[in-house]
Amino acid sequence: MPERAELGVMNAIIFSALIGVVMMLGGIVIKSNAGIKLLAIILLFILLGSHLAEYYDLFNIHIQTHGMLAKSRFGMFFNTIIISLTLLYVLLSGDEIVKVGTYGAEYFALIFFSLCGATILSSYNNLLMLFLGVEIMTIPLFVLTSSEKKNLKSNEAGLKYFLMGSFSTGILLMGIALYYGGTGLFAIEASKAANEAQQAFRILLPLGLLFIFISLSFKVSAAPFHFWTPDVYDGAPSVFTSFMATIVKTAGFIAFIKLFELRSVDMGYSWKILLPLIIILTLLAGNITAVFQQSVKRMLAYSSIAHAGFMLFALYNPNDFGKQGIMLYTVAYSLATIGTFAVLTKMKDYTYEGYNGLAKTKPVLAATNTIFILSLAGIPLTAGFFAKYYMLASALKESTSNLWLVIVAVLFAAVSVYYYFRVIQAMYFKDGNAETTEIKPFFKTLLIIIAALIIVIGLMPSLLLDLFYA
Amino acid sequence: MTLLSIDWFLFFEKLILIAVIIFASLGIALYTTFAERKVAAILQDRPGPNRAGPFGLFQPFADGLKLIMKEEIIPNNSNKFLFVLGPALAMVAALMTCAVIPWGDKIVAFGRTVALQIADINIGILYVFGVVSLGVYGIMIGGWASNNKFSLLAALRGASQAISYELAMGISLIALLMITGTLQLGEIVKQQMQPGHFWNVVYQPLGFLLFLVCAFAECNRTPFDLPEAENELNFGYHQEYSSMKLGFYLFAEYINMFISSVIMATLFFGGYDIPFFDETKHADWGNWLALAGVVCLMIKVVIFIFFFMWVRWTIPRFRYDQLMKLGWKTMLPLALLNMLITGAVILWLKK
Amino acid sequence: MAITEIIFWFLSALAVISAIMVVLSKSPVHSVLWLIAVFFAISGHYVLLNAQFIAIVNIIVYAGAIMVLFLFVLMLMNLNKETEPQKNLWMKLTGVVSGGCLLIILISLVRQATEIKGKIAVTKTGDIGLIKVLGKELFSSYVVPFEISSVLFLSAMIGAVVIGKKD
Repeated sequence: MPERAELGVMNAIIFSALIGVVMMLGGIVIKSNAGIKLLAIILLFILLGSHLAEYYDLFNIHIQTHGMLAKSRFGMFFNTIIISLTLLYVLLSGDEIVKVGTYGAEYFALIFFSLCGATILSSYNNLLMLFLGVEIMTIPLFVLTSSEKKNLKSNEAGLKYFLMGSFSTGILLMGIALYYGGTGLFAIEASKAANEAQQAFRILLPLGLLFIFISLSFKVSAAPFHFWTPDVYDGAPSVFTSFMATIVKTAGFIAFIKLFELRSVDMGYSWKILLPLIIILTLLAGNITAVFQQSVKRMLAYSSIAHAGFMLFALYNPNDFGKQGIMLYTVAYSLATIGTFAVLTKMKDYTYEGYNGLAKTKPVLAATNTIFILSLAGIPLTAGFFAKYYMLASALKESTSNLWLVIVAVLFAAVSVYYYFRVIQAMYFKDGNAETTEIKPFFKTLLIIIAALIIVIGLMPSLLLDLFYA
Repeated sequence: MTLLSIDWFLFFEKLILIAVIIFASLGIALYTTFAERKVAAILQDRPGPNRAGPFGLFQPFADGLKLIMKEEIIPNNSNKFLFVLGPALAMVAALMTCAVIPWGDKIVAFGRTVALQIADINIGILYVFGVVSLGVYGIMIGGWASNNKFSLLAALRGASQAISYELAMGISLIALLMITGTLQLGEIVKQQMQPGHFWNVVYQPLGFLLFLVCAFAECNRTPFDLPEAENELNFGYHQEYSSMKLGFYLFAEYINMFISSVIMATLFFGGYDIPFFDETKHADWGNWLALAGVVCLMIKVVIFIFFFMWVRWTIPRFRYDQLMKLGWKTMLPLALLNMLITGAVILWLKK
Repeated sequence: MAITEIIFWFLSALAVISAIMVVLSKSPVHSVLWLIAVFFAISGHYVLLNAQFIAIVNIIVYAGAIMVLFLFVLMLMNLNKETEPQKNLWMKLTGVVSGGCLLIILISLVRQATEIKGKIAVTKTGDIGLIKVLGKELFSSYVVPFEISSVLFLSAMIGAVVIGKKD
């Protein structure tokens, strides 16, 4: 499939927006929680179907986008992944979503809108679309974060997220303005002619890119711009944290990669200093703080920062190896996180003690949760291992002088094993009576399927990557 | 004669025009207060002010003198700068609107052709909107700076009312602008003057109705005079004001009424167009034709002002929640509907 | 010095001074009022660039609506007194240092761009800011972002209802 700059990935964008509206209006007609969840699942299948129809060139809506969106194999594949992951997420935690508050249909509608933003981010070709995509993706999240109205923490998290998010959007806009000043274009692929005409002001370009870099680091919670993450992830209702930490976060990385694939050259030498600095800080902040957490939910929030550190490695070699790596990472990390959060939402107590003796009361939950956590820690034979491997390899491929950075990352991965294994230790080796809410067989089956997927990808990552190239 | 690359003749020409228009507005506002009392009197079957001069015609001057001579009081705990800024802003915002209104056709004086419009800018009606949306600051700042709970409440009421009705107003105008295809007020009037073209009110009856109601709300006139509801809020946002500062607030309200009448006449009733009369055939009348146009505009304005007063002395005040409900749940959907229908009809006609 | 240049410098000074006052004012209400002054100065700049539509929309939307809502909230919360807690010295110091670093970078960048030196803004030319041209651009080259922004507003509206409505 050739890159067609004029035609965007419109099916997924249009359908996810329309489906959001349908979902919202469906809430007027359908009153029962089960009905709303069913509608959401059906609509997600429609979305996935429409997207696949475009992927295989069966049916797509042709729209002249004037270079605003670009269709790429990478973006299309990523869209397939996030839509499937959302489907899985809704199947797994749909019941919890409608239980958060009185606006079940609206929550799903917001999730669809957020998904619309993510699909824009995977196919944008213009900074205006980047801005819109980021905003469409995050604004529903502010609402979802504070959707538990009676819970003060949820409100606090929502406000914090909103303030931080708007602040970083301000920086993004400043960056885009400077970029425009430097190139005279909003497009990320600059034509030669336009570049020469603006030669005098080109000096503004690196600064603009730096601002955009900072803002996007904010969105993907890379240190030192990560301070909002633990509070927001902790305060938000657990089901929505799971969505935020997976689909939204990886979409942020896709936006990141797309921009710096074309533009990291313009950042000049400072790029070479900045990126390792941010990576090390992120790994440090995520891993070390996660060690001291008492609540599993908060630990997962910090660990998601640590994972952001690993995903940033993809920026070293955004062309092929990094892209494959980020795909693999997206799948591995998202599957495992959705799984652990699904288990977490079933727990009555979110602390480590709450998991004590889970293996005895709910062996299936404990076993699958162990696989998810092993994958998060990057233990071989799970998907997480190859994901991390590809990330580190992309840095080495760029230059072997990055070896020190890779070693640091591996050391931090070792640290992460400590706090991940505390969960496993609690589940298997501690006595206790872990209490959970009611668990349906369907839920268990899904967990097993996800765990199986993780192992299959861990054994044969080529299965996924072949799909990418097929 | 150019200095600092300014055409000074044009400069003075505009300066004179501005002065004339502002003084005319002030004079009209002055007599509107008088008219209000007279109209109220007639509607209530009593003579009204009739002592100062013949038919009480000097009454407004007496009122004005009284306001100026009174003691100026600035409350102790108020923010002095803002306290003075409030009425000033209200007045300035009220007067600034007249800059884009076409008062009449071109006249020829001393060998120069002078357009009876201060600035026929590209964005015309949007400028009016911009200034109107600032008018609310006069009320808010004044009400807040008074350091009085009643004033503050009234100011907040005024602000929320103005914002709510601005939306419906803007959308009802969009439908009109779809028809005219221009924002320039001069151009809008010229379109309506063309033979075979009716006044815009014929094409936009609902739009006009919505605009009229919103204009009432924007001017804080009954039945939308919540910010001044005496029985609930003592005296409203200008409770702490005295002397000419109070005068400015009251005056700004009358100027607003005058200006919104002019705008309604311009947008929907042909501006300075003389009804049932083809101006193009009588171009040789020259300046007299232009002046006749101005007089015609003024007649339309007077009718509107009378309507404003008529409503005031006929209809009781809304309750606050009724006001908000009307604004958001009736006016806004109606305006949107009007816009949709207009758009659809235009598309259909063009095809 | 042409009159446009004088106006330009006046507006720039007004914008910068008002912006500084926004930060320095103790009372939040004063900050908001200064911010309105900033918007006016910026609108003035737009007018100089012959972007009348953008200028007036800036006033209608920001000065006329958003800032009124700001004032609304501030007045209702009665933030007149200095209720803002004192930040500790280190925080202030870090703020100053990081802000200063950014300033140095910006200044050094502008100084390096020798080609810009001696050039003044092109005023009163170009008609991209006029509503006719802007409308055509918006509905041809930029129609996709324009339409997609409706999704943004829709989700924001749903969000407002979900958060604001009583359970």
